[in-house]
This record gives sequence, C-alpha cells and structure tokens, in this order.
Amino acid sequence: MNKVYLYDGEFSSLLTLIMSLIQIKPKDVFIKSDGDFKPNLLDNPIYLNIENKEEKLKYINKNVSREVMHILYYVYLSNDENKENVMYYFLLNSFKYGKDILYHGDLNCVNKALKISKYVGNETHKLKGFLRFKKMKNNFYYAEVEPVNNVILLLAHHFKMRMPNEYFLIKDVKRKIYVMYDLKKLTILYEEDIKKLNIDVSNDEIYIEELWKEFFYTIAIKERENKKCQMNFMPKRYWNHMIEMEENL
Amino acid sequence: MTIKEKLTILSDSAKYDASCSSSGSKRKNTDGVGNAHLSGICHSFASDGRCISLLKILMTNVCIFDCKYCINRKSNNIKRAIFTPEEICEITINFYKRNYIEGLFLSSGIIKSADYTMELLIKTISLLRGKYHFNGYIHVKAIPGASNYLLKKLGSLVDRMSANIELPSNESLKLLAPDKNTDKISNIMQTIKDKRNRNFVPAGQSTQMIIGATKETDLDILSKSDAMYKKYELKRVFYSAYVPVNKDKMLPIVNMPPLTRENRLYQADWLLRFYGFKVNDILDSNNPNFNLLLDPKSDWALRHLNEFPKEINTASYYDLLKVPGIGVKSAKKIISNRRVFKIEFKDLKKMGISLKRAKYFILCNGVYFMNQSLFKENIIKNNLILESKEEIASGVKQLCMFNE
Repeated sequence: MNKVYLYDGEFSSLLTLIMSLIQIKPKDVFIKSDGDFKPNLLDNPIYLNIENKEEKLKYINKNVSREVMHILYYVYLSNDENKENVMYYFLLNSFKYGKDILYHGDLNCVNKALKISKYVGNETHKLKGFLRFKKMKNNFYYAEVEPVNNVILLLAHHFKMRMPNEYFLIKDVKRKIYVMYDLKKLTILYEEDIKKLNIDVSNDEIYIEELWKEFFYTIAIKERENKKCQMNFMPKRYWNHMIEMEENL
Repeated sequence: MTIKEKLTILSDSAKYDASCSSSGSKRKNTDGVGNAHLSGICHSFASDGRCISLLKILMTNVCIFDCKYCINRKSNNIKRAIFTPEEICEITINFYKRNYIEGLFLSSGIIKSADYTMELLIKTISLLRGKYHFNGYIHVKAIPGASNYLLKKLGSLVDRMSANIELPSNESLKLLAPDKNTDKISNIMQTIKDKRNRNFVPAGQSTQMIIGATKETDLDILSKSDAMYKKYELKRVFYSAYVPVNKDKMLPIVNMPPLTRENRLYQADWLLRFYGFKVNDILDSNNPNFNLLLDPKSDWALRHLNEFPKEINTASYYDLLKVPGIGVKSAKKIISNRRVFKIEFKDLKKMGISLKRAKYFILCNGVYFMNQSLFKENIIKNNLILESKEEIASGVKQLCMFNE
C-alpha cells in the first residue's frame, strides 16, 4: 500500500503538513487534498496529527523569501495533479539552498514550481482582461469564469482595487465558488450560500453589449485577418464567457 | 444619428492606428472608477490578431487636412460624425465597468482648427477625469499645429500623449501629407519630452510610421526610429503596414499589406532597444532592406559566424543576447543559474529556454549539440530558413509583435 497524506484543501494546512513530512522524511511522499483523493485499493490515506501549526508557519515565513512564498501560493492555486509533491520538494530544497533556490534550473522541482506558478500568473493576467461583467437589475456587476486554475480570489482583488464603489460577484463555474465584494471586503461563498441569485440584467445591458460587439467587429482590419493569431492570444476555452465571441463558437 | 452609428463610423476610421498598448502607468484609484496596470492588459483580440486594450475612437472624422493615405481626408466622400464629450464619457465608463476595456484611446480629425479640436479633446478628458472620476488609462493623440499651452493642459490629464510622424522622411510627408509638416510633429514630441514627469504623460509617448506607402528603405525607416528614440525618448515606435484605403496617383498599388516587412521592423526595433544592437549592425547601405526569409538577428549571426558558437557558461550578457532565439528573459536566467551550477543542454530545455534557433550558435560546457564539423554557414542557414518558413505557414508567431 502507498501512503497518501491528506489535508483539508487549505494553503496553511498544506504548508504545515509539508513541514511535518520534512521532519519525518518518509521514503516516498504523496500528498493530496481530501477533496481530490479517490479511495482505492492501492492507496492508504493518512491524516497526520500536526502539532505546533503556528510555529511551523512562522518557521517557513522566516526561512524562505517572499518570492518563494509567492511561488508556493501560486502552485497551490494551480490545477496541477502533482502540485503538492512539487511544493514538498521545492520547499525542502529551499531550506537547503537558501536564496539560490530560484536559480537551480538543474533541479526538477524548481523548474516545475516556476513553470506552474508562471502558468497560474499568466492565466490570472489573461482573465483580468477577458472576464466580462454584466450589470444586473439591482445595480451589481456579475461575471462567470471557467479558469483552469483556482484564480478567482486573485481576480477579485484586482477588481476591488479598480472599482471600489461597485458591488460585484464573480463565479467560478467549474468549481462552484463565488467571490463577493460588498464595498468593504471580499467574501468567498459556496453554492449553498447563494440562496437565490437574481440574474435579471439591467435595462441598458443589452444595448451596451450591442455597442461593444459593434466596436469589436469594426476595429478589425479586414485586409490583415489572422484568426490563428487571434486564437493564439485568446484561447477558445475563454470564449463562451466573452460576449463578443459568442457568435464565433 | 444614433450612438451606435457614430461608434461604427468613428471606430472604423480609428482602426489604422497600430498602438494599443495600455502599459507604463501606475495611476491609482482615488475613490472613483479605475486604475492603470503597469504592464498593461489586453481585453480582447480582434479577428486580425491585434490586441484590443483601449476604446479606440476618433472624436470626429471631419478633417480640414487632405493627407493622401488617410481615409478621413477632406476630399473623400464618406459619412462624417462627431461625438459629444458626454457621449464619449458614457461609452468609456460603461465599457470600463463591464471590463471590456482598459481605458480610452482618443484621436481626432481636425475640425475648424487645430486649437479648436484640441480644446474639444481637453473638454472631453477633463469631464472623464473630473465628473466621471475616471482613473483608468487614457492615450490621446495631440493635434499637429495646436498651441503649446493646450498641449501642456492635455498632457497633465492623460497617461500617454503622442503624435504620429506617419512617414519616414520630410519629402514623403510633403508629398502625401502636405498640411502635416515635420516641424509640427517635432514640436509636440519635444514639448512632451521636456515636460514629462509623474503627473505629465507618465506612460510616455509613442509614434507610428506607415510602411510601404513611400519609397524609403528599411534602413531609412530604422534610422529614423533610432533618431527619434534618442532625441525624444519615445517608448515605442509602431510600424503599420500600408493598407490602401484611397486611390491616388501619388500612392503605390499594393495587393497585400507588407506584413512580413512590418514584422522584421518590429524585430529590429527590439534589437535596438533591448539587445544592444546598432542600426548599422542590422542594415547598411549595401544591404538596406531586410532579408524576408530570416529574422534580423539570425541574419546578423550568419554574417558574423566567426563570433560563434558562444559558450553558455561564460559568455557575457550582451553576447548571450546576440544568440538567435535567446531573449532578455532567457539571457538573465542563464546568468543567474550558471552561478549555481554548470549548465548543460538538457538543463536549458528543462529551464524552458527555446533551443530551436539557439542550438546552432551555442556550446554548453564545450559541447556542441551535433557533430561540430556541421557548424557551417550553409547548413545552419538552410535549417533556419526551413524553420522560419514553417512558422510563417503556421501564421501564428509571425506578425504578432505589436502585441508584446
């Protein structure tokens, strides 16, 4: 039986679990969040009893740079199957090599961590542009997104800075998580928290959308048409939540 | 005329401006709507593959000038429209709050006089920044011939202000845009350069040149860019492959916009700004035009093969940048990594550094990627041309430089 170490899906739980494992140094490390783990005959799920969580977190914060923490957090947000294991080896080696860790392109865990966190950063950046709000009847803005990685909280932070005086709600359709902004703070909500979402759009919504589509089609130079280039920069998986691309699906 | 009809006319006549960038400003939100994002954000991509970042419109396509290449010249019989300042503000805010755009790119034909037009632009932007509390990105085109005090007023409201030189030489400008002389453009550029600071055109200025409408060589064009970068500290020069919109005996007949040439100019422009190349390294009077089959750096490298192969573990930063396929990010990564371990070919691949072109020009720990007797100009050249052709055929990588 393979030992599989489980955690509750939270970033801090994962970090403290990794710290405990670094102390135990088991021969093989497999970590999964309990939500992702599917019981089977080969794997033996284990919940470690983790003590001194606060101290463990403090130790990490003290001994790795902000950049390493940033990478760990972005890898955690990713959809990568082996992300927990990548984080384990990346943190293990961060303690070993100190500030040089980011330059160890000869270590697989470093290249993987950099690649995954870059992917999460890129997707967040893309969606800062591709996300589309609709204005709803009771004057709040609503958007649905389907990101590969779990980035809606990062997106919500961006829009909070940008539109501090507007109520908004962003939904991750695939994960069924929402982030709400109420002019003060961001709150994460789940399907069961949203009793009845009033999805009526405001009166001018269709009109503004028409204007936007008109602009979108007019601004292209016909003589330079290059749909491959368009799709390369704006992958198809984002199209069904972008009103200007609906007709192209 | 409805707003939608106006939008159609005034975005259609603004589309030939290549600039779409929304980067370089850190404008903060001060209890209003919007902020600027330092690296810029693309909100959509049009079917020509160009990034849509800003609501790119003219205030009006009425114009007292008669520039031969321009769709809005006064002698053209086309539908004319004008937006009121309020209409521009309403569309901008409504688009911005739905996250369609990063801000506004406002240009204009010249209505009545340069100063009159400029005052209307100032009124619009003041309204947007004032009454509408808009803190997003604004790029505005300065009107050639407008008074300096108006230039200074407009510059204090926007993130970027710019003027298009349009043609690479005085003679061409005289020929095709007789009302738009070089002095008017230089005055705008000089004023912006002298006044620029945190609160005045913080994202700097850019300009645009039309490629292929006049007889200049690539060397002429690149030299012009180089001179402007140095003299006016421009952030960007945009190159716009000539698309014939008018018939005129002064204009050339072209079937397809010269897109490959445009792409080569962008590549060479990058070499000037970030790679330590000089104009004369890239082109000279014996070779005044780009090789359309090869990118300028590969072309240069093949002409200087005696400087290669470069050892990845010891070459200087600028020597690494001379290797085809190695860009600024890769060069920096190599330098920071090789302090920690000796880099071999397999490491480069794992580090995500593309070897497609680079492999022909480098050694890793003294090792060439194939038998070193094959390090010969004709062999490398054939391989590079083959790869370049595949790229052009795929249609993706080429011609997308203006988005970076």
